[in-house]
Amino acid sequence: MSTRGEYKMPGGKLIAVEFDVTNGELRDVVVTGDFFLYPEEALPLLGGALEGSPTTLDEAGYAARVRTALHTKGELVGSSPEALAAAVVRALRARAGLERDDGH
Amino acid sequence: MDTDGSGLTPDEVARWRALPWKLLPAVPRAPVMNMALDEVLVERVGSNERAPTLRVWGWSAPCVVLGRFQSVRNEVDEEAAACHGIAIVRRISGGGAMFIEPEGAITWSLYAPESMAEGRTFAESYRLFDAWVVDALRELGIDAWYAPLNDITSTAGKIGGAAQARRAGAVLHHTTMAYAMNMPLMLEVLRIGKEKLSDKGVTSADKRVAPLRQQTHLPRAAIIQHMIQHFRQRFGINESYLTPDEFADAESRAREKFGTRAWTHYLP
Repeated sequence: MSTRGEYKMPGGKLIAVEFDVTNGELRDVVVTGDFFLYPEEALPLLGGALEGSPTTLDEAGYAARVRTALHTKGELVGSSPEALAAAVVRALRARAGLERDDGH
Repeated sequence: MDTDGSGLTPDEVARWRALPWKLLPAVPRAPVMNMALDEVLVERVGSNERAPTLRVWGWSAPCVVLGRFQSVRNEVDEEAAACHGIAIVRRISGGGAMFIEPEGAITWSLYAPESMAEGRTFAESYRLFDAWVVDALRELGIDAWYAPLNDITSTAGKIGGAAQARRAGAVLHHTTMAYAMNMPLMLEVLRIGKEKLSDKGVTSADKRVAPLRQQTHLPRAAIIQHMIQHFRQRFGINESYLTPDEFADAESRAREKFGTRAWTHYLP
């Protein structure tokens, strides 16, 4: 089952991430939200940056991956690589909570 | 900096005035045609086939307009929308979902050469394109101001929001203002999440919208007329029309792109 996390920057826009976890890695990562991204065609770079990342990274680790992927190829407006990373960490926490509830 | 009542510097006013603005008056169109026209017209302004343009939107049917990066199921109750005959369309710009009823919203697009926003960050260019709107609203007695990143708001509550997209050589800046709100229907159709309200205070009442009818008691057409009049007096603008070629181009894109599930549901 896929897991989802959201983060809204204060005074900014919402960014959400949804993914599956397979063998300790993020899979089928989809990023959505009411943020702005220029150019719009850079959207796959956001999910692509996180695809295959281990679930053990910290927020700065995910943010660095997103920042590197965008580099000169895209600019987030109203959101940021750090905001997306925060959404990932929230999703992972929610997932960990669910697993505990299931008795794992 | 605030020399023109709105934060537009004399240099910025000069930039607006230097352009040969054309007006496309409102004609009721299908939601999907409004989406397609934005793409056609911003491209044509970018390639100099069309002069910089202010297009006032007309709507022939109610709809939900999703931002470019929004997920359908996170924003819309599709069953409720279908039940009320409300179409779901997706625009080319980012930003948030809008619930549109033909007489409930006032929407326009500005298509300008990219040079207009030269030397500005994306964030700064929102203020540049919304400053005249704030002034026009103040003339109607509303204490409006621009609220970063992309809102126009007032003491009574939020009035509207804007979104921008860029195409080779041109900026599309479109703004929607609430004229009259059907809140019960909107809340039935749109899903408004808690996270979205997280920095707006503890209650959703802080995110209140203050539609223009309630604030001005003016007919919708009178407000639109006032906006155009303000623009004309300040920057100059001449009436124009959609060419048959532009219309045909938009119709074909409405059919082959904007009206397809591949586009509207590309983020399901």
